[in-house]
Amino acid sequence: MSCIDLVVGPQHPALHESERFTFKVEGEVVVDVEPRLGYIHRGIEKALERRSIVQGLYLAERVCGICNVAHSLCYSQAMEDVCGVEPPERAKYLRVIAHELNRIHSHLLLLGVAGELIGFMTLFMLLWRDREVVMDLFERFTGNRVNSAYNVVGGVRRDLDDSLARDLEKAMDSLSGKMRGYRKVFMEDPTVRARAVGVGALSRHKAVELCAVGPTARGSGVRADVREYRPYAAYEGLDFHPVVYEEGDVWARLMVRVDEVLEAAELVKQCLRKMPSGQLRARAPRFIPAGEGFSVVEAPRGDLNYHVYGRGAVTPDRVKIRTPTYANIPALCEMLKGGYVADIPASLVSIDPCFACTDRLAVVDVGTGRRWTTTIYELAGRAR
Amino acid sequence: MRGFEVAEALREGLKEGLREASVVKPGRVKVVVEGGFHRRAVEALKARFGELHVFSIVGADRGGGLELTYNLWLYGPRVHVMLKTSLPKEGPEVETITDLVPGATLYEREVYEMLGVRFKGHPNLARLFLPEGWPEGLYPLRKEVKLEELERCLA
Repeated sequence: MSCIDLVVGPQHPALHESERFTFKVEGEVVVDVEPRLGYIHRGIEKALERRSIVQGLYLAERVCGICNVAHSLCYSQAMEDVCGVEPPERAKYLRVIAHELNRIHSHLLLLGVAGELIGFMTLFMLLWRDREVVMDLFERFTGNRVNSAYNVVGGVRRDLDDSLARDLEKAMDSLSGKMRGYRKVFMEDPTVRARAVGVGALSRHKAVELCAVGPTARGSGVRADVREYRPYAAYEGLDFHPVVYEEGDVWARLMVRVDEVLEAAELVKQCLRKMPSGQLRARAPRFIPAGEGFSVVEAPRGDLNYHVYGRGAVTPDRVKIRTPTYANIPALCEMLKGGYVADIPASLVSIDPCFACTDRLAVVDVGTGRRWTTTIYELAGRAR
Repeated sequence: MRGFEVAEALREGLKEGLREASVVKPGRVKVVVEGGFHRRAVEALKARFGELHVFSIVGADRGGGLELTYNLWLYGPRVHVMLKTSLPKEGPEVETITDLVPGATLYEREVYEMLGVRFKGHPNLARLFLPEGWPEGLYPLRKEVKLEELERCLA
């Protein structure tokens, strides 16, 4: 049978950035994938070369809205590394709380979207309802629901009072209870299992070879969690267990996130108990000295790293950002090969890209030149 | 200090191609190699420590020349290796590492289009981020390229 090019994208093919994927399909089977990135490349790395430490922080936070805490944390740590600044102990614990709340909201968002894409709308609504609780707490904690501007170079911006600490603890307990219920759904529900088990396989060997990160790697049995292997902020002093599943399919990658929400809730509670009192921030210099700084954090989607070159001026010489979705693209292509067209949305969602509601894709039949468009939801509909 | 055994292994594996191998912080080793020896370094690290993860490949225009930094993570000894090599600004060329670490494919393509470094032996050294119709030879992250020029190309 002859191959047909199936072009998905560039306008949000269910992805974080607008990206275009050209699938070579033989009947219903994907035989090859070619990604084309860059549709919303904003030149942030070049722009950071013209910004001071403080201005750059705001820009870094806007690389990604959903995991903004990971970006501001990683940027701050890289700058602290090059400047030789050590944040106070209390700030490190507060950073972990913000980071883990951010992870909970990001994972619940993804799990909800996964529920929607596999045709399980109730699960989507329930998960997003519970996500709101975290968003509200996040607003009380940092001052904003989404872009929190919580981390600064040298520490954090605001403290946590006793009443909020009590509410956080209570909310984490109730969230854990609900999450255990959802865990049962993900474990046993026939709809979820039918659409996720055995779909989008990625072997452990391939995951390591293709440098997959985060839940994508951990769903394939790679024990790789920055919080464990290269502890930053306060993780060194916390009792932390990385979540690893061996199956390597969409289901395993979703389960990693389900269990990580439970783990994150425990981490927040641990921080509240162990957090020392003290200063919130150390003074950061205005000049970035000559030298290099590097930081890597475990963002909700995997390891995120910043590499900074200083030159003894207000602005840095070079800032390199490597985001986790970018790192997972080769692994994603591997998952899609050999799978069905109808499984594309399930595999895409399993690496946790961001979704927009106007997802559209163009289907081109190369043989006849016929071209039509459809939405990712119609594509998902074929799978139900 | 964590990292000494990695610096030692590189000294043994590379000998003449090595300019510097030092533990700059606990768990972080800075390695500077002569042109063309970065592959040998990656091979030596893989052979000795097993699984290796590429955090990122950073290309930087340091004024006089280009500098490539391979940020590698060794899962075994839990050490971050900053593997560095310098390149001239005119016609920079370097051997690919994609056959050793297939996960580096996109990172090399990014350095190629942003700074103009050609990776010899790369399976598909095509554009990744920049639009089609971008002028040949204009590398946005080079210092001599001004923002105004980029804006003109994007208009």
